[in-house]
Formats: sequence, structure tokens, C-alpha cells
Amino acid sequence: MASITIDNVIKDYGTTRVLHGLNLDIREGEFVSLLGPSGCGKSTLLFCVAGLEPISEGQIRFDGTDMAQRSSRDRNIALVFQDYALYPHMSVRENIAFPLKRLKVDSSTIEAQVKWAAETLGLSALLDRAPSDLSGGQRQRVAVGRAIVRNPAALLMDEPLSNLDASLRVHMRTEIKRLARDLGLTVLFVTHDQEEAMVMSDRIAVLSNGYLQQFAEPMEVYRNPANRFVAEFIGSPKMNLLPASDGKVLMGLRPQDLTPANAADAPDAYAVTGNVALIEPAGPHYFLDVMVNGQMIKATANEIDGLGQGSQVKLTAPSHRVYRFDSDSGVAL
Amino acid sequence: MTAVETEPQAIPRPKRSRRRNGRARPPLFAYLATAPTLLLVLLVVGLPLAYSIWLATHKSNPITKKTTFVGLDNFKTVLAQDSFWNAFYRTIYFVGFSMVLTTVLGIIMALVLNKAFRGRGFMRSVMLVPWAMAPVSIGVLWSFIYAGDIGTLNGILHDLGLGFLATPWLGNNTRALNLVALTHVWNQTPLTALMVLAGLQSMPASLHKAAMLDGAGPVTRFFQITLPWLKPTLLFVSIIATINALMAFDIIMIMTGGGPGEATTVFAWLGYVYSFQFLRFGQGAAMLYILTGLSFLLAIVYVLVLSPRRRKARTAAVATTPDSTAQRIRRPYSITPPPPRDPVLSPRTRAILSDIGFRAMVALIFIWSAVPVLLLVMMSLTPASDLIRTPPSAIPSGFTLDNFKAVLFPDGGTTSVQARRVPLSLMNSFIIGVVTVAVALAMAPFAGYVFARWPRARAFQAGLWAMLFTRMTPALTLVLPFFVIYRTLGLIDTRTGMVIAHLSILLPLVSWMMKSTFEGVPKSLDAAARIDGCTNFQMMTKVLLPVIRPGIMAAAIFGFLVSWNEFLFAMILTSTPDSQTITVVLSGFLQQARFHEYGPMFAASVLSVLPPVIIAFVFQRYLVQGALSGAVKG
Repeated sequence: MASITIDNVIKDYGTTRVLHGLNLDIREGEFVSLLGPSGCGKSTLLFCVAGLEPISEGQIRFDGTDMAQRSSRDRNIALVFQDYALYPHMSVRENIAFPLKRLKVDSSTIEAQVKWAAETLGLSALLDRAPSDLSGGQRQRVAVGRAIVRNPAALLMDEPLSNLDASLRVHMRTEIKRLARDLGLTVLFVTHDQEEAMVMSDRIAVLSNGYLQQFAEPMEVYRNPANRFVAEFIGSPKMNLLPASDGKVLMGLRPQDLTPANAADAPDAYAVTGNVALIEPAGPHYFLDVMVNGQMIKATANEIDGLGQGSQVKLTAPSHRVYRFDSDSGVAL
Repeated sequence: MTAVETEPQAIPRPKRSRRRNGRARPPLFAYLATAPTLLLVLLVVGLPLAYSIWLATHKSNPITKKTTFVGLDNFKTVLAQDSFWNAFYRTIYFVGFSMVLTTVLGIIMALVLNKAFRGRGFMRSVMLVPWAMAPVSIGVLWSFIYAGDIGTLNGILHDLGLGFLATPWLGNNTRALNLVALTHVWNQTPLTALMVLAGLQSMPASLHKAAMLDGAGPVTRFFQITLPWLKPTLLFVSIIATINALMAFDIIMIMTGGGPGEATTVFAWLGYVYSFQFLRFGQGAAMLYILTGLSFLLAIVYVLVLSPRRRKARTAAVATTPDSTAQRIRRPYSITPPPPRDPVLSPRTRAILSDIGFRAMVALIFIWSAVPVLLLVMMSLTPASDLIRTPPSAIPSGFTLDNFKAVLFPDGGTTSVQARRVPLSLMNSFIIGVVTVAVALAMAPFAGYVFARWPRARAFQAGLWAMLFTRMTPALTLVLPFFVIYRTLGLIDTRTGMVIAHLSILLPLVSWMMKSTFEGVPKSLDAAARIDGCTNFQMMTKVLLPVIRPGIMAAAIFGFLVSWNEFLFAMILTSTPDSQTITVVLSGFLQQARFHEYGPMFAASVLSVLPPVIIAFVFQRYLVQGALSGAVKG
């Protein structure tokens, strides 16, 4: 395992700059997610780390060694692709053994390693199958097996869960996190799913338009978003943004923090009043769409006794859960 | 890993849905839609084939005109002849030579043209030109390049001061066979390259990236990733290339006429000689059926050798859930990679070197594909006297449009009979091509739709197989029955007759292309059109046909090209300039040309390759699509 330093990395495609001087210090054995909407540069950064894309300026260092002169085959990197990239004409066994064969490892070692990887991932019964005979989840595990069968300096994952169905995805993220912890892997995990990033990562790097917005632990990103973009991107449903009276500040309120007023509210609690437009039952609670001063905002309620469409409601949020952003720059105040 | 994850296809599909997909009896509409196509195919392919089978099993006395049934005697006679076996071995050599060379060159071209570089679209068009040209034009071009006294190749050698190397290139037995095969390779390689290119483009980019990260270098990746990925493509390419090599006729007829001696007499040519020179119709037909059998046999061999090996039958669903609570087993070995090698060349130097190598490859493809055609254009623009200089020279003494005047204007100042036939023949080729395509496109899309939607219905399967069979049958087998039938019906030497004859090629071809096209149209579109109130016919005309318009365009362009380039039917079924096509007139030049007619001949050649070249450059996309969905042009 290695630490990865991304030092002022710039990437241009022709005249278009897609990465604007990124800096990230990833510790050995750390699980880091690159999170952002599509087109933000997260996969590009991943491919740059893997050496599949050259960088235009800056340095990428593994354990302090500059990688500029190393082609991807010399970087000892493992990458799990979004479409898994299993070799279609090879069996599961041959797929997993492929990187070891390239290292000219002797066959008994290969056999033992493949056996280990297959047992670790529950693939032992599938070793002689072709990738086309596997389900999506099984293919995904073969791709992971091929990645961990040697000791990669780092495991890179490019949206590896996006092609799985919802419940399998939730299960696999736990599995991958456990595996990474048990093997002490340095993981760089690309995703556009903020919940996935929250659950899995030690730290999250939020990217937008090729700029790093924030790089911090998951709850830090959630509770102390560096700017309006991070605040809106993290958390579901999206944070409400209301202009403050002076017009220079935007108030941010997470729907989960905004509830109908009750007696236990602190005296300094933030409060707004509006009319209920829609009530959405969501299981543990209800979401309320409330019209406040011509703007629709979302709130949460545990009970909706006495509430109906059109009824007036007073919503409050604890004052320490009210975020403030500069309305021009979007920076958190 | 969890209960939700299911084995693929582990759930038995409900029976009803499977029946709906194919086995169910197709509606009346389906039969009506295919009827015109199938009937016409039966008429223009089935009938002549039946007649040729009759010929192969009968013996006729040309003097008494009496025919007697002789069973398989014709086959026995043919098999007992030395000339048959000599031609057989020559054919095997010819096929092997073309197969190896088209595959190797085609893969190289495809690999180069798959890379992104400026001018790639242009280079792809350039690459296609030798394949889009009529084999007759190709034969004319290369036979002049290789010609003895005045050939271009010898001219170039003289110009370079290497005159002592000059020789009649087609005069030596082995060399003649090799050069004819090479010319065939020149013609066919673009088809292989095109199909390999399509195979490369369907390869997910992540595959090579994954292999790179797994430590595989370029050579390993080519053999371990690219080649296995291309295996199905190469199987298909091999079958097509073999059939095309077995049936190669036009080029041989134009370049060598089977000679010198019998040096280039391959099967197809021998069948022609037996039928139309010796007039032993029965033996000729027998020979051509043996050729058909051979192409089937080879197709089967390829399928056996190249088709993906079946893995073990799938075992029942197995529990594959790793026990999340179990202690993980330790990694048995810690595999650390060797310290990274210091590269001999810096990445920058290596990038520059590979860039130079790549440009050289592009240049080579250009030289291979375009230079012979440019030579043709140059020769058509030089004074006719340049072409017969001794010692020969490839450097023109000047440029003139006289040759084009001679072939384009009735009073072009030429005494050449053949040159005067060119304008009408161009017109004939154009009319025949357009009408044939129009007739085929009026019927085939409907048949193609039914073939795509009810692939398992027996009646349609039979129709499809019949069409595939026509592809495996040499056109020579059909041409003799056509000749006899046409003589009876008075269709010889008419454009109508030519349209019908070309339909026997185009109708199966276009139906097949339309089937492939419709297979890419989701069935939900049919359902949507019906739910929105369309009748079956409206569904076709208002929804589906507009959707597949690019496919129809491709079929039209491709079909026109096939008709324009066709030579054998046109040669046998026409006798006067009234209905002769450009390919026939062009071959006529070679047979009776005197020295002063070479100029007009090259001008006519240029005119004959003009439509194919325009198509290759302007309609490249459609041409490629047509080639890939039909993939059957000779």
C-alpha cells in the first residue's frame, strides 16, 4: 500500500482545462471518495492517477515518488472499471490470474493467490465460468478479485456500483469497505452518489467543474460544508436556500433540521411560516413542501396531525443548524 | 451475495413469451409482406438453379440437340480429369494466398485506422476505394501496370534506371498466379479491414486499460485481448473472404484469361471455359456445383475451428455468498512487483518514435490504396502515344483531355468503335442500377422486417437459408440458365433482362441487409405504432420505414454499386451496345484494343470508377453500414 499525493495537478484537453490545480494528500490505507456530478473531472483524475491519462502540469506521487515517468503498467495500480472490463474470452480463474501471469509469478503461487481471492470474495464455485455466465454482482466481484490478487499500491474504483440494482449496491458498499479495511487498502473511489460516499469513505473530496470544493471527513462535509455547492450536493433531499433580508446572504436549511414548531424549541430558534402544498410520506417521517414567501421549501415532520394541503404551518430549525453563504461567491460564512 | 442476486436466466422464462417471440404462427400480414420477395427470389434464383441442376445431370448432343439423363456421370467425368485437379490445387493456393494476406493486411489497416488522428475519415475513404471499384476496372488497371513492353511497372523501373529488371510480369506461370492473387487481395483487403474495424470499435475501451494496468504491454495486449475479441469477426471475415476468393472470376478473365497456359486457371474460370467455350454445359454445371460444395465445406471447417469453444454446461445455481462474519483468510503470498524498469528511451522519445512509425503506416496505406488509382487517372490524362513508348516510361510527356473527349462525345475525333460505345454504356449501367435498386427496395424492406421479427418461423427460416445459399453459389451457375431462358423469352440484350438478372443478386442481398437493420429496431416501436392506431401497413410506412431510413440509404447505395460493378451477367446476357454496361465495354477494349485506344480505355476506366469513388468519399458512412449489414458483396 502507498500514500498518494496529488500536487497541483492540471489537466487540459486541447484548450479545455478539466482539472484546475488539484491538491489531495491521501494517506496509506485510507478510503477516499471523489464525489461530484458527471463532468466534474473525478474520473479524469482517477485515470491520471492510474497513468492512463497524462497530466499537463503538477505531480502525482506514490509514497513520495513522482510517477510522471512511469507508464500505467509500472505503477502497480489496480482499477475496477464501471463496466468491470472482464476479459470476455477468459474464465473467472484466468481473469483473476491475468495480472499475476504478467508478473511472471510461478504457477503454484498463482493458484494459491487465486484461491485466496476467490474464497475472500465467495467466487470459488464460479472459477471455471465465463464472464458472460455471471450476474452483474458476480462480475463486479470478479473485477475486485482481479484487483486485489496482487498487492496493488492503491485500489482505484470508477463508479463500480452504479450498474448494480439498489439493494445489491447497498450490500456491496459494506462488503467493499470491509475488504478495504481488512486488507489495509488505499482506495480511491469515484462516485456521483453522495450517500455512497458518505457511508464508505474515511474522507470525501468533493469536485465541481475541475475544482476541489472540499476535502474532509464525511460528517464534516455534511455539517460544515465549505460552500453552497457542497451544501446542496450533500444530503437528500437538497438543502433549502432562502435569501436573508439583506440580500447578501443565503440561509441554508436542511429539510431534516426544519420541523413544525413545538414547545421544546429554543427561544433563538430560526422560524418561518408558510402554507403546506404537499405532504409526502417517506416511512420514518413525512416530507412537507411548504410555500414560504413564494418559494417552495422542504421540511420534515414526524406527525402530520392537523396538517393538510393549504394549512398554515410554522417551521423552526435550531440556530446552530442554519448555514449561511455569501450570495455572490457561495462561500460559507 | 444476497438473496436478491439471481443467477442469470435462472428464472424460467414464461412459455407464452417465448412463443410470442418466434414459434407462434406468424400473422397473415407476415406472409403477405414476404410473398413478393420470396416469389421473385424463387423465380430469379430458384428456377435457374433448378435448371442448372437439370443441366448437371444431363448430357446433350449439340448436333442432334438430344439430351439424355446421365445421373452423376458429369460429376464423374469432371472428377476424372487432370485439368480439374490442377485447377483444384490452384484454387486452394489462390484461396490460401488471399486469405492469409487479406487477413494480415486487413488487421493492420484496421488497427491503424482505428486510432484517432487528423484525416482519419479521409484515409478510411481512401482505404475503401480499391474495394468499391469494379473488378473489371481493377483488372484493366493492373494488367496494364504489369504489362510486358509498355507496362507502368516496367516504365517506372526504366525511369529509375533499373530497366534490366523489367520483365513481362504476367508471363511467368507462378508469378502470374501470385500477381493475380495479389490483385484480388488488393481488391478484397478493404472489406476485411472494414469488418475488423467494426469489431475493434465494438471493443469496450476499458478492456485495454484494464490490461495495461494488469501489466500487459502492447504486444501482449494485441495477442491476449484484441485477437480473442476479434475471433467472431475473423470467423465471419474468413468465410466471406474464402467465398469471394473461390468465386473470383472478373479479375482473372480480364488480367490473364486463365493463362499463360493454364497457370491461372482456377475453378471458377474452368467452369466458365467448360460452359461457354467448350459448350459442355453439363460438365460445366457439375464443376460449379462442386465449387459450391467446396465453399460450404470450408465455411463449416471455419465454424468448427474458430467458433468459441463451449464452456462446461452451466452448473446449478450455487451459493456464492461470502460469509461476512467470518474471519478473513490471510493473503497466502504477498506479491510485490519487481522494481519498475528504467525505460531505455524516455517517454518523450518513445512517443516521438511511435508517432513517426504511425505516420509511416498511414503513408503506406495511402500508397497501397490510392497510388494505383492515381496512376490510372494520370494515364487517362496523358496522350495515348505516351502509353506505348519504348522503352516505357511512367513520366507523362504532357496532359490532355483528348481521351475523355473521345469517350464522352460522339464526334470526339476518334476512330475507335469501342470508345463510341462508352456514353451509352454509362447510361445503361446507371439506368439498370437505379431501376434494380428501386425494385429491390420496394419489396425487400417488408421481407426483412418479417425475417427480423419472426426469426424462428419455419417458412421464413427456409427463405433465409435459400438466400444464404444463393450467396454460396457462383454467379456462373445462374448465368447459363439465364442465358437459355432469356433466349426463349427474347430478353437477351435488353435492359429489362439486365434488371431481372441483377435482381437475382440484389434481392437476397438487400433482404438480408434489411433484416439486420430491423434487428436493431426495438419491438416496442411496433407495439407503440399499433396502440396508436396504425394498421400493419401504416406501421411500416409511417413509423418503421422512416426510422430505418439510414439503413435503406445504405442498401440503395450499396446495391447500386454492386449492380454498377457487375460484369458476368452483363457480359453473357448482352450482345450489342444497346444494353451493354460500362464493365462490358471496358472489357471489350482489352479484347480488341489497338495501341491508339489505350488512352480512351483509361478514360473509360476512370469514368467507370468515378461513381464508386464518389460513393466511398461522400457516402462513406452508408457504404460502411451497407457493407457491415450485408457483408456479402463479392
